[in-house]
Amino acid sequence: MLRRPLKLMGLFLKVSVLNVAAYRFDMLVRVFVSLMHLVADLGSVWIIFHNTKSVAGWTAAHMMVLVGVFRIVAGGIRILIVPNMRRVLEDIMEGTLDFVLLRPVNAQFLVSIREVVVWRIVDIVLGAAVSAYGCYQLNGHVPIQSVFLFVLMLSAGFTIVYCFWLMLATLCFWFVRIQNIEMVFWNVFEAGRFPIQVYPNWLQWTLTYLIPLAFITTFPAMAGSGDPTKISPQIVLTAIFMAVLMFVLSSWFWRIGLKRYSGASA
Amino acid sequence: MRRLARAVSALLRVEIATMLQYRGEIVLWSTWGLVNPLVLYAIFKAGAMSNDNHQMAGLTVPQIAAYYFTMMIVGHVTAAWDTHEMSWYIRTGRMSAMLLRPILPMWKSMAGNLAYKICTLAFVGPMWILVAFLIRPEFNATPKQFMLGLLAVVLAGLMNYFLTYVVALVAFWTTKLDAVGEIYFGLAMFVGGRLAPLDALPGPIRVVADVLPFKYMAAFPVEMLMGRITVEAEAFRGLMVQAAWLVASLILFRCLWAVALKRYTAVSG
Amino acid sequence: MPQIDVHNLTKTFKVPEREGGVGAAMKSLFRRKQKEVHAVSDVSFSVAQGEIVGFLGPNGAGKTTTLKMLSGLLHPTSGSATVMDQVPWKRDATYLRRISMLMGQRSQLQWDLPATDSFYVHSAIYDIPKDQYQQTLDELVALLDIGGILKKQVRTMSLGERMKCEICVSLLHRPSVLFLDEPTIGVDITMQSRIRQFIGEYNRKHGATIILTSHYMADVVALCKRIIVIDHGRILFDGQLDALSEKLAPFKVIKIDLDRDVGAYDFAALGDVLVRESRKVELRVPRANAPGVAEQLLSQLPVQDLTIEDPPIEHVIEKAFGTKLEKAVDA
Repeated sequence: MLRRPLKLMGLFLKVSVLNVAAYRFDMLVRVFVSLMHLVADLGSVWIIFHNTKSVAGWTAAHMMVLVGVFRIVAGGIRILIVPNMRRVLEDIMEGTLDFVLLRPVNAQFLVSIREVVVWRIVDIVLGAAVSAYGCYQLNGHVPIQSVFLFVLMLSAGFTIVYCFWLMLATLCFWFVRIQNIEMVFWNVFEAGRFPIQVYPNWLQWTLTYLIPLAFITTFPAMAGSGDPTKISPQIVLTAIFMAVLMFVLSSWFWRIGLKRYSGASA
Repeated sequence: MRRLARAVSALLRVEIATMLQYRGEIVLWSTWGLVNPLVLYAIFKAGAMSNDNHQMAGLTVPQIAAYYFTMMIVGHVTAAWDTHEMSWYIRTGRMSAMLLRPILPMWKSMAGNLAYKICTLAFVGPMWILVAFLIRPEFNATPKQFMLGLLAVVLAGLMNYFLTYVVALVAFWTTKLDAVGEIYFGLAMFVGGRLAPLDALPGPIRVVADVLPFKYMAAFPVEMLMGRITVEAEAFRGLMVQAAWLVASLILFRCLWAVALKRYTAVSG
Repeated sequence: MPQIDVHNLTKTFKVPEREGGVGAAMKSLFRRKQKEVHAVSDVSFSVAQGEIVGFLGPNGAGKTTTLKMLSGLLHPTSGSATVMDQVPWKRDATYLRRISMLMGQRSQLQWDLPATDSFYVHSAIYDIPKDQYQQTLDELVALLDIGGILKKQVRTMSLGERMKCEICVSLLHRPSVLFLDEPTIGVDITMQSRIRQFIGEYNRKHGATIILTSHYMADVVALCKRIIVIDHGRILFDGQLDALSEKLAPFKVIKIDLDRDVGAYDFAALGDVLVRESRKVELRVPRANAPGVAEQLLSQLPVQDLTIEDPPIEHVIEKAFGTKLEKAVDA
């Protein structure tokens, strides 16, 4: 059952790799910019901890884990989510979404994997390395259960981000003129650069339950600290629950949007 | 001169009309300028609270609030983004259309810059007031310091505009302008003081910051407005340095524009 | 003293050459192979005041490059040119104020606003006195018949409407010399003839000198007494249109669709065979023979559809000057 979707994914990936091969020099420049972003992130952490020992209970090493997470998630978003959602918005506006709907594959799945910006994997590799180094600094080694928890929380976080974007893109079925919806996301995401504990209580609550930003960066970083007391089983369970809930919700919303689309264009 | 004034005021009017067509978009763009300093304020405040004296780099929490609050405003009014647009103008042939006109393309971009700031004021203005109530900044500037501070902001805005434009001219040689723009932006963040007050930086980096122009486009006007620069001679020295950088960037612009034009008329047209 | 005077104008571009394959691409990172493209070579001509001259030639012939040099957007590799006693590529503001160049889709118009706003900006940039502006605008609006669309957002205009506004804006400052690069590209036939008519009227009324490029024969025939045929950057012909017509030995192209394959039928006996597929044939025949050939085809073959057309400009030039045309990318 899974063979065909996987084959499709492989095909889209191959096209993307060929693109990278064709524009090597562009890639080098972009990788350089990507590296600079990471250096900038680390630099800001370095400056902050040049002036203090801890921030809202976070040490420098622990903050590095968060920097890594921020890069990984931002990378993931740019590999798959941004390019695909941009294309969906275009398709909806131009009316070319029909081509997708004609294919004998689940539409949501197809619109989510058509474009792969493969070189952005650099962000994930670099981010993972920084996170691992932070964890090593904290514990003297990288405990395996911590890696497991980390990946689990990251997957939940990434699912939440994906669903958030899918819902934003689905809004386009009703309001066609919202191309710049991306900016909304990046403006909110900016707040996830640092642990949510630095914000006042009302904002922490908002960023956990109303806009689940905490599940995307702060909580995975807590899971990756290697310190089991940092992350309670409640948080882990809530994260999984949130991810499932968001997935169901966004799929449902997408299907309503599709109905509207085919109703309107017929 | 009168001719130029007529052209620029007409450009400004039309650019404002265009901005108003994109009011939703420009609100979103300007939001980043609000969120970023607030996030940095939050982390710096948290850092200060963990220190025994509740300070960071000699700043109390209300002073930290004042720093980022002022940076939010200064950052907005001095913003320039030609590094993001120049390649597009060249690639799409719009540069050719602009070069047919008997006026420097720079004036159109400047009119667009002013138009953006005028149009966004209706949104960011109230937001600034709201933020001021939320984070309670503390100011110690005397009226004189404040007036000089305003002058520093104007000079900072012009400096940033022309330096950004000079950097943007790189687009006439390479399509990799984005990377160059990122370096400029990164330097503005770190050694310009947008990320953290320069006092928070380690000594050697502060030395670097002193010789580069970036500090004079952000940290300096902000500290002037906050009343942090109490020695008058230091304030005037800073203003002189700003003026010198401005003149230098204008000269650089004139020379580089001539070279860029030569290059453009040699290869692309 | 001619108004436009061009001597040995030459423009050579260096373009990077790229070969396929990974190895070549890696090598090109370090040492780029460059190829010289002679966009315009050794072109000389002069144009008197009030003349309309048509530049004729296929894509990539060097028409646009020449116009770009004359409007100051390109610096020549060698050669000289003066327009109204000024050197275009010095880009003096007084020069730019006296000319206009219209480049197809490269818009002078503000996309998101009504056309009037673009006109207004133009009047300010060219510092047109207010009363003169109003007078010119009224005149152009009437001539181009665009009174009804002035308040329409440019992005919502049709291609033809946009082209008319584009022409209007480029004439507001009453240029003495006008360079029109493909002024009728992409618009429908009625609009094409309207635009032609308008250009002719403007020329008569204001005595403006006009050079226009086109790859539509009809544009040139309608407007220009004199034409310059240019190909591969060289002038092949410069003279009166009538003289060219003789040289061209007029041809027609007959296209037929057949019900079925007619096998060994000898089309070559009737004319030059341009296309020969199983059920589709194109012939080039002398203009005088065209009716006869058509009749013969209709009576002898199972013809489904038959059309007689003027040959595309590429074929005309190929026939007249014996140059084999290649498609090159216009810079």
